[in-house]
Amino acid sequence: MDVFLQQLVNGLSLGGIYALIALGYTMVYGIIELVNFAHGDVYTLGSFFSLAVLGFIGIQGELHGAPLVGVIAVTVSAAMLLCGIVGIAIERLAYRPLRNAPRLALLITAIGVSFILENVMQLWKGPSPVPFPSFFPDASVTVGGVLIEAKQVIVVVLAIIMMAALQFFVYNTKLGKAMRATAQDREAAQLMGIDINMTIALTFLIGSALAGAAGFVSGIYYGTTWFFNGFSAGLKAFTAAVLGGIGNLAGAMLGGFLIGLIEAFTTQFISDQWSNVVVFSVLVLVLVFRPSGLLGESLPNKV
Amino acid sequence: MRRTFSHNVRAVLCVAIVAAWVVLGLTASPVPAATVIKIGIDLPISGADASIGIPTENGAILAIEQANAKHVAGPNVVFQPYVLDDAVQGKHDPAQGAQNVKTFIADPAVLAMIGPFNSNVAVAEIPLTNDAGLVQIAPSTTNDALTRPPNAVKLRSAHPGTNTFFRVCTVDSRQGAAGAQFARKLGFKRAFIIDDNETYGKGLADVFDAQFKALGGTVVDHEHITANQQDFKALLTKARSMNPDVVFYGGTTSTGGGLVRKQMADVGMKNVAYMGGDGIGDEEFIKVAGTMANGTYYSIAAPEATRLPSAQAFVAAYKKRFNSDVGPYSANAYAAAEIEIAAIVKALKADGGKMPTRAQVLKNVAETRNFDTPIGKIGFDKYGDTTNPILSLYEVKDEKKVFVNQISLKTT
Repeated sequence: MDVFLQQLVNGLSLGGIYALIALGYTMVYGIIELVNFAHGDVYTLGSFFSLAVLGFIGIQGELHGAPLVGVIAVTVSAAMLLCGIVGIAIERLAYRPLRNAPRLALLITAIGVSFILENVMQLWKGPSPVPFPSFFPDASVTVGGVLIEAKQVIVVVLAIIMMAALQFFVYNTKLGKAMRATAQDREAAQLMGIDINMTIALTFLIGSALAGAAGFVSGIYYGTTWFFNGFSAGLKAFTAAVLGGIGNLAGAMLGGFLIGLIEAFTTQFISDQWSNVVVFSVLVLVLVFRPSGLLGESLPNKV
Repeated sequence: MRRTFSHNVRAVLCVAIVAAWVVLGLTASPVPAATVIKIGIDLPISGADASIGIPTENGAILAIEQANAKHVAGPNVVFQPYVLDDAVQGKHDPAQGAQNVKTFIADPAVLAMIGPFNSNVAVAEIPLTNDAGLVQIAPSTTNDALTRPPNAVKLRSAHPGTNTFFRVCTVDSRQGAAGAQFARKLGFKRAFIIDDNETYGKGLADVFDAQFKALGGTVVDHEHITANQQDFKALLTKARSMNPDVVFYGGTTSTGGGLVRKQMADVGMKNVAYMGGDGIGDEEFIKVAGTMANGTYYSIAAPEATRLPSAQAFVAAYKKRFNSDVGPYSANAYAAAEIEIAAIVKALKADGGKMPTRAQVLKNVAETRNFDTPIGKIGFDKYGDTTNPILSLYEVKDEKKVFVNQISLKTT
């Protein structure tokens, strides 16, 4: 039972990171029907930006109390802002000129952008894993035999805060309403006076900023980052978005947490090398019985 | 008029160019150009494997430079290192290794090669060198199946009767057994084994698994990880629930050896020992694992050069040339280059200074017996393995490697 609960904690932490990345996939897909393959690399870029900011602040040793909160707030905001800017730039330079081109052209462009980002990061920090400064307290509590690290708490808490804020933004603000309208019918929204370009840029800004936040927490959680991390993490997060129902925000979160949990439990009760097989088998099964994902509405004529 | 003029200009230009070419050619020809003989070096020299790959490369380069300085092949023959990197996206890649070997084969000046570093890369390369008859000496690839039948014969598909692959390090059946003995000697009873599912990592972990059990230990579980995995917390939580006193990792730092060790701290396994083979015996491991690197034990399939009397001259020359300390496999690569250069020189002498063929060089390398190198007298047995294998054992303390013991496994 202890082990079961322990793996639950592991799975939720891992799932929190997947969920944050999956939100960006699902938002972009929802609004321009593009599987943005560069999104995983924006996530890695988030950890690289965090590294740069932490280096700039000059962190030495563990922090506690107010300085810790301050450093987290500054770093996560900077990483989110920078990733958001990169997201807008990607949309403006690579995707907008192709918005009315065949969808395949857009998809290949996304893969191209992914390669560009990976190579830029490789040039920046080199092809080896880069250690993250260990400023975060190495604290943990044991609750009923289950070891919970402070790092795991921050991952899950930050993920939930971000998701709640996003949910509020999309459903309770005017810009969120514009976003939903654009996702539903771009042309009709334009006729109603919504600035489509601005709304799409905003979607990229928010999605990429969430990936930036995920990059920061992954840096704390694993203590290292690597330019190629975004490839597999992005694939898993995309799977999470599809599992939950692509285009659906709550679905992306659910999918992220589910995949994290499936991975942890497969490792515990079957074997680590089978975790990917189980994840993708579950995906196939879900899609067979619910083609639009767990929480997705059926969307005819989308891809 | 205009047309004829331009025709004339063209004709004059053509004559001038031809004349210049002839004159230059004549003045150049009396000076006999030095014969360049290239030695291919295929190692992972970027990314997570670079911290062990580059010192290995340096060892080979030093041997080549010294041979040139001494004019071992006469004044007109120059040896040239031809270095290619087999790391892609930060780690050793079999497809890139095969591509590099094809490049070597296509260059007629390449008479021998050194490398690769990793066993799975060797699996991709051996069929190519076998087909082309190009001799290769590996400084560090330890998987048994590369030279031992029945698997090695399958790799020699073009010429099953010919072996082009030699190595100056020992094999994993020895390394894994030594690791298991070491683990038992340190008092470990329960091992949790993880490997990276690569040729080297899985091979080594399987040997350790069998030997640890044979020596009375218990293997609580044997797990395999997948490529590019970043999260090992679930796997290590499982490990913790089985209460091992040592975690054995079969694989390299670049496939996750450092991350696994680092994340052991996160699941409450800070005080559990960690063990591995030469794959985690690099500086990169200590860099990735940080303070968690302490309490790690590993073996290297080579002697500790700094402690060998025969290697002192080499160690000093290396330090002088590269301004850094020797790596675990620098001396092995140096020895491999020395053997190849000697084989080429022998072929040159036998043939009156004519450019030797690859077949001659291969034959001479295969006949190497009792050859003096910094790592001792080296010869090759019928499989192409060294007759003088030596293993060294290390422990990581205060984020530095500390030599523990050396095991000699001399054969004849």
